[in-house]
This record gives sequence, structure tokens and C-alpha cells, in this order.
Amino acid sequence: MRQIALLVALLVAVPAFAHHSAIAEYDLEKPIKVTGTVTRIEWTNPHIWFYVDVKNPDGTVTNWGFSGAPPGVLQRRGIGRSSMKPGDQVVVQGFRAKDGSSNGSGDTVTFPDGRRVFTAMEGLGQQR
Amino acid sequence: MKRVVMLLFIALATVVSAQSSSKSTQIPRTIDGKPDFSGIWDNPKPPNARGPATVFDRTKFPPFKAGGEAFYEPRTGDPRHDEPRAFCMPSGFPSAFLGPYPVQMIQNAKYLVMITEFMRVTRIIPLDGRPHQADVEPTFYGDPVGRWDGDTLVIDTTHFKRWSLDDYYYTNPKEYRMHSDAFHTVERLTRVEAGTIKYDFTVDDPKIFTKPWTENWEFKLHPEWEKTGLYEMVCNENNRCPGGQCAKP
Repeated sequence: MRQIALLVALLVAVPAFAHHSAIAEYDLEKPIKVTGTVTRIEWTNPHIWFYVDVKNPDGTVTNWGFSGAPPGVLQRRGIGRSSMKPGDQVVVQGFRAKDGSSNGSGDTVTFPDGRRVFTAMEGLGQQR
Repeated sequence: MKRVVMLLFIALATVVSAQSSSKSTQIPRTIDGKPDFSGIWDNPKPPNARGPATVFDRTKFPPFKAGGEAFYEPRTGDPRHDEPRAFCMPSGFPSAFLGPYPVQMIQNAKYLVMITEFMRVTRIIPLDGRPHQADVEPTFYGDPVGRWDGDTLVIDTTHFKRWSLDDYYYTNPKEYRMHSDAFHTVERLTRVEAGTIKYDFTVDDPKIFTKPWTENWEFKLHPEWEKTGLYEMVCNENNRCPGGQCAKP
């Protein structure tokens, strides 16, 4: 319960700060929103990465990769690697990688009960 | 009765006055009596400001000298030029210390060490009033030297490579601010109360600007961050999409 309260509190403002601007890696003209199942978490610097299996209209499955804030920034706010687990159903919103691959910024992650975590940007272009 | 009220008022005023005047004398001090800046602080920013990274206020910029337009580096479309930090190149000073990461200060009689969590960049500032070294090669973080002006620590830094001044380009990618190799900074740190360092930051770049200018920022102490200390941040660990080209998962 405490963790849920913490995560909800994070909705207010959780700027995620990477080591570069958003425009360096993501196409801000290409917002993405996918629904799928978390397959893996990389709790690493300079960003965490998490991967989500997304079912395509033709029935195939694409494994998308999403970057979030640096682990230290998240940990200081009470979010640990166990806040999201493989098998979790999530909706991820962000922006697609400039190379058009199945990677993107994981700006918001929404769980079926409405919780959202890993909000990655306070404003466009402010990722660090 | 009137007299009692008056006496109470005087006593109260005395207490308030004593508390106010003792603010600056109750700051931590090192064994040699100098103000001790040791602690974990939020990144410097204008008083009461919030937001991701501190940037220089363009309304304070003095006029350019002839040729000062080089301050605005044109974008080329090459990500290695436009944002070298995405490839784990250094931020440089002061940019690395202005981002939204804690700054830990550790001090003894000889040195003040400033470490930002951002890539664990470290500045080691001698406090003995020595002059700058002669013939030092320019660097991303410059050559800092410190001296005391009463209870204020003055840090003078020179010998920089030409590099980005701040993170302003995050919000306006058309303006990439580059200081010159004549960049010179003067920081004045005054611990005005236990939880606050007044941080006056003067920029002097005689190849760009007609005169120096000063930002009036402050550091705020965060004792609650002592429990975990600074977290590790290693750029090359998993930099999966440098310049927008992602490695395969």
C-alpha cells in the first residue's frame, strides 16, 4: 500500500533526467502508445531500460525497448527495480527512437489499476 | 500590567533578534574555524526556483564583442557535433554541476571537493590561495583555485576548452551556447545559514562578452540524502541509443 501511495505521488512531478536532451535520441514528432507485457528490466545507467512484448494487428509480437530515468533519480524518489516486474501488463507512452526501430522513451507507464510510474520528462526536450 | 506587557515584548524582541543575528554564526565550521560546506546539496538554482536544470539567464547577458556571435554554435545535424554528451562526452563546467543531481561537498583545511552525482564528476579545489598553474592545458572542467574572503570562499577557474556553457539547448535546440577558451568563472560561496549556501556565479568570457555578469544562485542542504549518498552513474554502462541509433536489445 505504501508503495502504491508513493507511486501515485510521483504522478505530480517526476522529471526524468538522462544525460542528453530528448531530441538527441527521440523523434518528438512521433509519439507512441503501446499496450503489452513487460518482459525484462535493465536497472542500468545512464537510463533504465524495460522491454514490453506488444501484439501486432497481424498476430505477431514485437519486443519494444523503452528508456526511463537514471536508476539513482528513481531510487531517490522511492522507486526500485521491483516497482515493475516481468509479466506486468502496461500501457507505455513516449516517443519513438530516431532510427525508427522498436525503441522509444518510456515517459509514462500505466498499470491496469491506473497507477503510473517512470514518468520520464517534465517537459519536452528536458531529458538530460 | 502595562509594564509587564512591555517587559514581555522586550524579552521576546531580544530573543528574536538574537536568533536572527546568530544564524550566520551557527553554521558548521572546520577545525580551523572556516565555514564548512560539507554535506549533500541540491544543484544550484535561483532562490525558490524549481525545474530540471539551471541555465544562465539570457536577460543578464552583456552585449557581444566583435566576433562574440561565435557564442551561438550553429547546428550541423551531426549528433556527434550537436550533442556530444549523448555519446558520453563530458558536460564540462559548470554544466555538469547545474543539472538536477545532488552535489556532495567534502572539505578539509587544504581542499574542498565537489562531486556531482551526474557521472560522478569531481572538482578538487585547493583552499590555500595559490595562483593558477602556469601553462596548464585547457580542460573541460578548468583549473580551480580557492581563497577565503572572510567567511566567503572564492573559487576562480580558468584554462577551459571551448565547450557548451549550459543545457539551454535542451529546451531551445536552435541555440547552442558555447563559451570560448578564454572562459573564466568566479564563484563566491557563503553559508548564510546551516541549510543554505549563497552561490554567486560570475561569468567572464572576454572573447565573447563586453563585461562579466553574475548569477545569484543558492545551494540547499538535503541531510536526508546522506542515508544513501550519491548514486552511481556510469554513462557507458548501457547507453543504448547514442545519437538516436539504438543497439539491438
